[in-house]
Amino acid sequence: MTNVAWSLVEVAAQMLDQTEREAVLGDLEETNERAWGALTGIFGLVLRRQLSLWKNWRPWLASFGLALPGSLLLMGFSLSISQTYQKLINSTVFKDTGITLGPGVSLLLCNLLLLIAWSWTGGFVMGSVSRRTVRVSIALSFMPCVFCLTRFRVESLSRFCLLLFLLPAVWGVRRGLRIAKIRLRSALILAAVITLLTIPTWGSKGSWIPNWALSWPAWYLVATASTNAISKGQRQWQAS
Amino acid sequence: MLGEFEYLLITAAAGLGDNAYGAAIRGEIESTTGRKCSIGALYTTIERLETKGLLKTWMGEATAERGGRAKRMVRVTPKGIEAAKDFYDAVMRVSRGASWVTNRSGGAL
Repeated sequence: MTNVAWSLVEVAAQMLDQTEREAVLGDLEETNERAWGALTGIFGLVLRRQLSLWKNWRPWLASFGLALPGSLLLMGFSLSISQTYQKLINSTVFKDTGITLGPGVSLLLCNLLLLIAWSWTGGFVMGSVSRRTVRVSIALSFMPCVFCLTRFRVESLSRFCLLLFLLPAVWGVRRGLRIAKIRLRSALILAAVITLLTIPTWGSKGSWIPNWALSWPAWYLVATASTNAISKGQRQWQAS
Repeated sequence: MLGEFEYLLITAAAGLGDNAYGAAIRGEIESTTGRKCSIGALYTTIERLETKGLLKTWMGEATAERGGRAKRMVRVTPKGIEAAKDFYDAVMRVSRGASWVTNRSGGAL
């Protein structure tokens, strides 16, 4: 095998786990496999590995139950917050004297907090539910973003106002990948805060679908944290 | 019950004994069956069999002919031997009446 071909094979093998990569590359070198055969072999193995991950319900939940609809809804909510902010700026809030606090401002702040909480919990659950398919989930969450960014036609607003949710979501994904679980108390506080912040929208028709579509990750965290707490308690009881 | 390829892999690994690792098993399967064995099929099956407790694997020593890379060594567990025996017995039982076993000329025309 030429050096260039072998370099290609080594690059393709980066998609495998470290121990598997070592064994596979060693096997290919030992058997003096041809470049094309080695490449197809590695791609075949990577494909099989990826497909086997999707036999579980978790990647499906993270990708199609959360990433895809979540990013779409959060973009809509980001736009709504940006428009509310613009209206407040242009009308009563900062008129003449500067700062004037009113009900509109507190609602805007509530919505901003809700956007951050929804984005963070969504990102956290996406990162923790299925770590090995997180790249697919991220790609799926970017699809609606690209679609909406290219078709954005509101002249008074920058198209990047659609992406207000992005920073807390990325933060959530990173945390989810690192720690995977949060304590029951923290999960309960987060879920309660999110539910309280959605109360102002309960009166409007049709809002319960997006509310629940974006709030379920918080209650999912409560469910998983309580299951962990119960099993931990059982283990301690058995040990004593 | 084992699948056909799973049986081939376990049998090849058992035959190779202490020298059973990825490339050796692959070579053994290819030379005895005359069929191509892909790396993807080999390693995903090894992992599946290990999950079922039929094989045990560990990283072995690195050799110069492998570019200094370690081998993934394979050993068949007692449970794996039992599963392979069951498969072999089933194949023998089901083959009893077959023309190619009894050397009869019957069968589909």
